[in-house]
Amino acid sequence: MANVSDTAQASHGEQGGDGHEHPSFLQHHFDTPAQQFDASKLGMWVFIATEILMFGGLFCAYAIWRAMEPNVFDQAHHFLNKILGATNTVVLLFSSLTAALAVRSAQLGKRNQTTILLVTTIACAGIFLVVKYFEYAHKIHLGLLPGHCFGHPMFSGAIQNGQEVGTCVRIHADQTSSMPEWVRAIDESGHEQLLPPRANMFFALYFCMTGLHAVHVIVGMSILVWVLYKNIKGTFSPAYFTPVDLGALYWHLVDLVWIYLFPLLYLVGKPE
Amino acid sequence: MNEPNAPPTFQLPEQMSTVSADVDWLYYFIYWTSVVLFVAIVGAMIWWAIQYRERKGHKAEPTGHNLPLEIAWTIAPIFILVFMFHKGFQGYMDMDVAPANAMEIRVNAKQWAWEFVYPNGGSSDELHVPVHQPVKLVMASADVLHSFYVPALRVKRDLVPGMFTTVWFEATHVGHDDIACAEYCGGRSSGPNGELPYQPSDDPLHPYVAGQATGHWAMHSMLYVETPEDYQKFVKSIGDPCDQYASSGKKCPAEVAAGQGAKLYQSKGCAACHTTTGARLVGPSWKGIWNKTEETDKGPMKVDEQYVRRSILDPNFRVVNGYQAVMPTFLGQISDGEIDEITEYIKSLKE
Amino acid sequence: MAAVAPHAGAVGAGHHAADSHGDPDAMYLKASRGIRSWLFTLDHKRIGLMYLTMVALAFLVGGIFALLVRLELFSRGKTIIDGETYNRFFTLHGAVMVFLFIIPSVPAALGNFFLPIMIGAKDVAFPRLNLLSFYIYLCGVAILLCSIIMGSVDTGWTFYTPYSVQTTNSVISMTFGVFVLGFSSILTGVNFLVTVHTMRAPGCTWGRMPLFVWGMYATALIQILATPVLAITLLLLIAERFLGIGVFDPKLGGDPVLFQHFFWFYSHPAVYIMIVPGMAINSELIATFSRRAIFGQFAVAMSSLGLAILGFLVWGHHLFVAGMSEFATMLFSALTFLVAIPSGVKVFNWTATIYKGSILWASPMLYGMAFIFLFTIGGLTGLFLGTLSVDVHLTDTYFVVAHFHYVMMGGTVIAFLGGLLYWWPKMTGKWHDEFKAKVGFWFVFVGFNTVFIPQFIMGSRGMPRRYYDYLPQYEIFHRISTVGSWILAIGLFTTAYTLLEALWKGKPAPRNPWGSAGYEWGTDTPPCLTNFHKTPVFTRGPYDYHLATAEELATGWDEVGGEPGSKKKD
Repeated sequence: MANVSDTAQASHGEQGGDGHEHPSFLQHHFDTPAQQFDASKLGMWVFIATEILMFGGLFCAYAIWRAMEPNVFDQAHHFLNKILGATNTVVLLFSSLTAALAVRSAQLGKRNQTTILLVTTIACAGIFLVVKYFEYAHKIHLGLLPGHCFGHPMFSGAIQNGQEVGTCVRIHADQTSSMPEWVRAIDESGHEQLLPPRANMFFALYFCMTGLHAVHVIVGMSILVWVLYKNIKGTFSPAYFTPVDLGALYWHLVDLVWIYLFPLLYLVGKPE
Repeated sequence: MNEPNAPPTFQLPEQMSTVSADVDWLYYFIYWTSVVLFVAIVGAMIWWAIQYRERKGHKAEPTGHNLPLEIAWTIAPIFILVFMFHKGFQGYMDMDVAPANAMEIRVNAKQWAWEFVYPNGGSSDELHVPVHQPVKLVMASADVLHSFYVPALRVKRDLVPGMFTTVWFEATHVGHDDIACAEYCGGRSSGPNGELPYQPSDDPLHPYVAGQATGHWAMHSMLYVETPEDYQKFVKSIGDPCDQYASSGKKCPAEVAAGQGAKLYQSKGCAACHTTTGARLVGPSWKGIWNKTEETDKGPMKVDEQYVRRSILDPNFRVVNGYQAVMPTFLGQISDGEIDEITEYIKSLKE
Repeated sequence: MAAVAPHAGAVGAGHHAADSHGDPDAMYLKASRGIRSWLFTLDHKRIGLMYLTMVALAFLVGGIFALLVRLELFSRGKTIIDGETYNRFFTLHGAVMVFLFIIPSVPAALGNFFLPIMIGAKDVAFPRLNLLSFYIYLCGVAILLCSIIMGSVDTGWTFYTPYSVQTTNSVISMTFGVFVLGFSSILTGVNFLVTVHTMRAPGCTWGRMPLFVWGMYATALIQILATPVLAITLLLLIAERFLGIGVFDPKLGGDPVLFQHFFWFYSHPAVYIMIVPGMAINSELIATFSRRAIFGQFAVAMSSLGLAILGFLVWGHHLFVAGMSEFATMLFSALTFLVAIPSGVKVFNWTATIYKGSILWASPMLYGMAFIFLFTIGGLTGLFLGTLSVDVHLTDTYFVVAHFHYVMMGGTVIAFLGGLLYWWPKMTGKWHDEFKAKVGFWFVFVGFNTVFIPQFIMGSRGMPRRYYDYLPQYEIFHRISTVGSWILAIGLFTTAYTLLEALWKGKPAPRNPWGSAGYEWGTDTPPCLTNFHKTPVFTRGPYDYHLATAEELATGWDEVGGEPGSKKKD
């Protein structure tokens, strides 16, 4: 086991000269900063593994439904706005870059630069959420919702003069029919499309997966805000920047999940 | 090997199907293997714990190594386990693949009752099968998971809403056994109309009094394995009496059809909303409506064969004034012959 | 050679002046006082004790539900409760026992207390996360209590769809409570894994790690990888009920059987979360009370990992009659037989440890031997259920109920009780009444077998499970089983009384009353706040009785070989 490292303690406000010959950031149950850093890093990686398992269940559900209803998945992607999705992808990728750069600048002790980079990362997360809001609002307006709400007239716009004028209209083969229903709807490029029965499953998956991801974006933002606060207070130094490192690591996970979600939901399917 | 058709043992019920003997043989193989292993392990443990108990002058020997022994008792069980797996899988495949000449019976389960529909269209809440005849059950559930289980046959299969599951068996001797639901499906303390709390009965053929508060445990039915003659008698008794006329091209006599129509009035659920006494319920009473002219939401309408048929298949076609448009459609749930029988019944309900 | 030599000039504990958490060299229960010192403690030992209190209460609540269920089943028809209430009671018995008691029990109570000590560490890697885990557990308990008050659930602890989507009970609050409890389990797992990797003292190589720690490590692996899948499964169920998204509803394109796959993908590894810690305790008990190293120590350690890994591959054996393909059933049956091997290796190795040992028939050893007895039955009855054609007859009957009670209660609970009696002096510094402990043991052992052997027979004769009422031919078995539950209850209350009585009336315990070579017995009894006064260096294995000094093995009683706690002279 390594000896206590006495190297480079940059200014870390001594909280009380209590006679400790170890840095103030070293928690009492650890022997050395190296041990603390290793433990913290391993802990975050293990936690990330749990997050991957959790999303894994949804990806598994996606794989099963794609195999069971290929025609649904071929068509449904037309109803997702690829431009907004791609924008979000670029925004998140950029935010991962700024997060990684923030770790580097924290390691170099450049407090102001770290602040700017963290703020940028958080701002990008905010942009992601705003874009998501617009996407969701549009879907709700069109009635492209999971389960029973799918194509529901309440969400499909107004009914005027007994005529449904919403853009997502259920087609009944027969008034008394118990056959599955096709749905006629206007897609993102303005074309009228026919969605096969059980298309609601695609949107159930869409909302569950992107919804759970959005929750993690919010969690990641909160973590980064806390790290930003600690950075402004001057807690970090080249000897101790673990929270920045781990916060950025979590953020990379959040980004990575989106990198998988975007093509699977938005891009895969038949063209036209 | 157990004798085929063996009587019940302490652990297992009687054998009543062609697979029971194999299942039981494998069960006892595993049982005796387990007994031998258990006696060896626990016997050694107790024996040595006494023989080597702590006492003056006795010291523990440091633990050595014995890699060959460790490898041996890791590898040796594998052979037994592979044998168990192989036999189990073989038996399972036998249970899963129905013979080509299997007779199909449909099973509909709902909370909390079984309905068995026979090839002639008749239905019953009991399962009757001929002996020595492979029977394939094609099963569907109307609401939640259920499971069809007959211990003497050693068969069990879940019923899953939204899909058909199948199970087959061939009974080997005449007799009967209980059908139980083996997948939890809920329960009620009092019936939908506030019936009293549930009491079991002592009649082994009807251990739970039907119609009362019920649930998963009371979703009980009986399997009757019968001679082919008895089976035919049963099937005839639940079948549609008009069938024999249809096959010879004659028209079914009105009173026979009306009699069957009266049964359908109950079993299809018409009685829930239409009385035959003239009293108003959710829907109009059937008494004396034949050939009457009713006022409907889209004008007057004569109650003739067309109107009765249309109302059953497309209830909102015309709704009698003063009543709500709440009748469900029976499209897909009723045959043309049954519609005729109900029509005859309505005709018979004169003022 | 001493096991634990002070590391000259080590930094750390010994050099700190008293800090806000108390004097590091003081006994941990005395280092700080008052309710706030418990509510805000970062000491893994105190957190372990708080968990112990909670799981004991959970066991009491779950046990009361069990007694009521068994009482109802004493006679046909209504005995004390109606059908709907019965359905809720067996659901709550299952949910409380699985999620509030058994999953946390050994890891959070005993694991928290002893894992750091056994590797020579001052605490776990993330003490604050440890406390957070405890508070998350309390939140889960609170949500579950709310759910019970709001009418609770009657779906069975497995929440199968479509019934759990359709039933008009508080499914959402109960599943959300379980969701929250899952995070407590995950965070404990993360903590333990990182602790074992990064905080072992000098000389504590993987090969010298006690088997209890290997068991906790393997359990942590399962907690980390399996519990998130339960989390997403419950979230989907909640979304299904609340929003009607349709994943499990066939009318909307969903599949009810998918729920079973998702659920058991977690819940099968979960049963290894339940049993591996029990086996881990048993290794310690057998070694100490045979005065001998566990035979095949490496194999026993590896078998814990083997169970952790293989446990992920067998979930389909819960769905043999649920509508899977024949290929899937074949695969899962084969893998299920494979997972029997590591369990068998452990049982063989424990039995071989007893051979030529020096066996002390103290109360923890009674539990240790009972574990071998009862777990062997539980494991062997698993063979019936892994065999496809036989499983068709036995699944969803009382045979399964008896099987899992033998492994979970006859396994984990027995080991847990043995571990408590074994480590009670170390944790509390008090000595308990061995006579009462043994009386309690025999009531537990006899009562347990009386409850569950009739259930094997009922099951193979065709009695399905989760039945409020039954056919007349099963009544005699139900009656024997219910009487057994009363005997078992007496035994459990006696054992609890013995442990509690020790707190008030027990004489002070010596440092190493059992004469064990385990590392934890090398520190103070009870330990000081930071477990060791100076960072230890391990120079021998935890079961190396031939390398331990007489001083290390001294029991503190006047004679080794007499009744523990005796002061009889030679």
